[in-house]
Amino acid sequence: MDTLILVIIGLVAGPLLGGLIAGLDRRVTAWFQSRQGPPIMQAFYDVAKLFGKEKMVVNQWQILCAWVYMIAAAVSVALFFAQGDLLLIFFVQAIGAVFLVMGAMAGKSPYSHVGAQRELMQILAYEPVLILVFVGIYMVTGSFSIEAIWAQDMPLLAKMPLLYLALGYALTIKLRKSPFDFSTSHHGHQELVKGVLTEYSGPYLALVEIAHWYETILVLGLCALFWHTNVAWMAVLLVVTYMLEILVDNTMARMTWRWMLKRVWLIGMGMSVVNLIWLYAG
Amino acid sequence: MSNLLLLLILLPAAAALVCYFVRSSAVRTLTVVATGAILTAASLGLLGQGTFEPIAVGSFLGISSDFLVTVLDFALLAVIFFYGIKHKSLLIQVFTLAQAALLVWFEVVMLKHEAVPALMGDQLSLIMVLVISIIGSLICIFAIPYMKEHEEHLHLKKSRQPQFFFFLVLFLGAMNGLVLSNNILWMYFFFEVTTLCSFMLIGHDATEIATKNSVRALWMNSMGGLAFVLGMVLVYMKTGTLDVSAILAAGPQGALMVTGVGFICLAGFTKAAQVPFQSWLLGAMVAPTPVSALLHSSTMVKAGVFVVLRFAPAYVGTFLSTGVALCGAFTFVACAALCIGQSNGKKILAYSTVSNLGLIICCAGINTPLALTAAVMLIVFHAISKSLLFLCVGTIEQAIGSRDIEDMRGLYAKFPRTATITIIGILTMLLPPFGVLLGKWMAIEAGASTNVVVITMLALGSALTVVYWARWGGSLMATREEGAPAEKQAALIRLPLTVLCLGAVVLSVAAPWFYNSLLAPWVGAAPFTMSLGSLNSATGSFAVVPLFIALGLGLLFAIKAASGFRKAKIAPPYLAGANAEEDGTYIGPMNGPVPFVANNMYLGELFAEGKLTPIFNLLAIALIVLMLGGAL
Repeated sequence: MDTLILVIIGLVAGPLLGGLIAGLDRRVTAWFQSRQGPPIMQAFYDVAKLFGKEKMVVNQWQILCAWVYMIAAAVSVALFFAQGDLLLIFFVQAIGAVFLVMGAMAGKSPYSHVGAQRELMQILAYEPVLILVFVGIYMVTGSFSIEAIWAQDMPLLAKMPLLYLALGYALTIKLRKSPFDFSTSHHGHQELVKGVLTEYSGPYLALVEIAHWYETILVLGLCALFWHTNVAWMAVLLVVTYMLEILVDNTMARMTWRWMLKRVWLIGMGMSVVNLIWLYAG
Repeated sequence: MSNLLLLLILLPAAAALVCYFVRSSAVRTLTVVATGAILTAASLGLLGQGTFEPIAVGSFLGISSDFLVTVLDFALLAVIFFYGIKHKSLLIQVFTLAQAALLVWFEVVMLKHEAVPALMGDQLSLIMVLVISIIGSLICIFAIPYMKEHEEHLHLKKSRQPQFFFFLVLFLGAMNGLVLSNNILWMYFFFEVTTLCSFMLIGHDATEIATKNSVRALWMNSMGGLAFVLGMVLVYMKTGTLDVSAILAAGPQGALMVTGVGFICLAGFTKAAQVPFQSWLLGAMVAPTPVSALLHSSTMVKAGVFVVLRFAPAYVGTFLSTGVALCGAFTFVACAALCIGQSNGKKILAYSTVSNLGLIICCAGINTPLALTAAVMLIVFHAISKSLLFLCVGTIEQAIGSRDIEDMRGLYAKFPRTATITIIGILTMLLPPFGVLLGKWMAIEAGASTNVVVITMLALGSALTVVYWARWGGSLMATREEGAPAEKQAALIRLPLTVLCLGAVVLSVAAPWFYNSLLAPWVGAAPFTMSLGSLNSATGSFAVVPLFIALGLGLLFAIKAASGFRKAKIAPPYLAGANAEEDGTYIGPMNGPVPFVANNMYLGELFAEGKLTPIFNLLAIALIVLMLGGAL
């Protein structure tokens, strides 16, 4: 019963928090750039407006893929709040990621195709890192389920500092922040147009946006697990992490997928493996 | 009981003879379909009777069956040697002669010729019989219309189908024999029969390339045969028995015996086309598609992983076990990487097969109850999905005349049924809550407790897998014109496709019950408990049925939403310019139409096949040396 209540909280609060974070993100970014920025609720206004737009699609696959992306993202958040298996949560999240890519490939626009291919490169970069992070958590707690983390006395961060840094790479990619924002760009007037999102429009773009909020909550939730012993410190960890993300986003230029793959596989995986060796030795 | 066993092994042999000698296509069709139906029923009947203790087979016409197998063994080696001479392959000749010499010495000097029960039936055997008899039969049925069209393309004067179906159907009997063997000499015999069958089927089209590739397959598998004999002799030296169940019950018995098992595993590696032996399976795709489907899903390569898995209790807790896990994990990641660079649909399937077999072998090497459960799950679900995908590629190839995934772009527009089934097949290979991913999930959770090298390779391989499947699935989706003509499909093609497609989905839902009734008793210390359709353990849980319900309802809703798409405004593709009348072009300079294309990224600079293969082969050889040397 408690699980069910938690799941419902997750499903409702997920997009609300996600949208709020998106709004805050834009405000902080504006502050960095000495601008006023939009209202904090702007993300919600945008999505509401998109839902009111005329339905325009390339074909039925696109509708199907947009919905499945949203549903899979919601289910993965639900599983997270149900204290489920981390690896399973991640694989369910991957359903959404794969369908987003397939939906982008269902149309003929080359911009959308290029974006889809790049999105796959991003998956290729962050997936191994995330799996190794889960393996690290397993090494510490003896289980892949989130429930087992609460039994620990020490924050996970103490034993997995390098894995947390590696998780930062995955977080940056998943949040579509610079320098890893090359599957879709923030602004439609660049060479990529909107990449993987080019062909999604109106209500379907709104679905994709909500799915993205769910995903944001999922990855931030993952970060939060690293300081499960104390809510205040958990909040500090999250705020610092997200502020760093915004800082990186604003100070870095977009790089290429080659750069990303080499960086993340060498440095991200390297840090993960070193941290895992400590755990296996300990 | 024993009648059912003989039926499963001998009926295909008898049916094969009918196919060979009666040259009427109607009789052939009837024989193949009837054999398929009987095999399916018999395998289900065997499952219904449950597991059984090893039993003796007795004699045929007064000749002891053991003696018969020995005679057939040497006859088989003689046939293979003959082909070695015919194709002037020194390797085949050497490997076959060495096998024969070793076998003579073993039979005459060493062996004490005591009675060993020939057949056994634990849960693993029963599951394998189901996979072989049902999936194998479906592929044979698919082959009937396929080969008819295939020969029409080739304009043959005299049909070569009798020979083709002889080996195709015989294969099923040999595989059933292999998985049911309790006498290790019987196992070796059936192992060699599959080698011969695959050689004949790969070379069936008799083109230059087909012959070349079939000879390569034969020498590599003959080497595997030699490794098998060598392993058998070493194991016998220490344990003094040919009884597989007794060897398994005794567990590891010191360096000599474990090394013997290591050689048997090496034989499994060659048959399962593990790096550095992958080239024979890649070459095998020149054969007609049903052959590839059979080799890749329910037979041949599964014989390889079966042998490794069968002997898992005999090397549990030894260094050999770690070595096997390392070799398997390496193949998993190496072939997934090679797969990224491919655009040939059959080659993608081939590399993905080898990669998945690597994962299965890795699980056998991890050798915990959880890992062994993962291995069997992967064998079953991979067989279903992979056979489905091969049959899909075969169907597509006959429809569009190409097996390149770039040419399959937008397949849905013209062949909606085949495209949809292919997309479902791809999703069942890739995503939860389907069986293959369930197996992969178990494999990673089992691998997490082993060592950091294995788990890192599993994590990398898993990510690489997503890339090549997702882009293939996506490129098949397309817009279908309103009122486009419906797709035509022969009944005998539609039947296997539909059954396999449904099977992949329905069996995935039933996975928890499959685990509970067959796998939990087999692995002993059951890793999971089942409640409400979820598999729960101390290390994690996979909510199979709840996920199916949640995602299934979601999918139904999404399909409902998508089905009304013609009411929405259909937008032309965004091209950052004016769309031209003609499809696939935009208005460019001089007001003329400019065609545009967007292809997949194959990452040639990172994942070039030619560059990576030699490096991977060297590394794999080093790992095998490590594995065998460490066993000593």
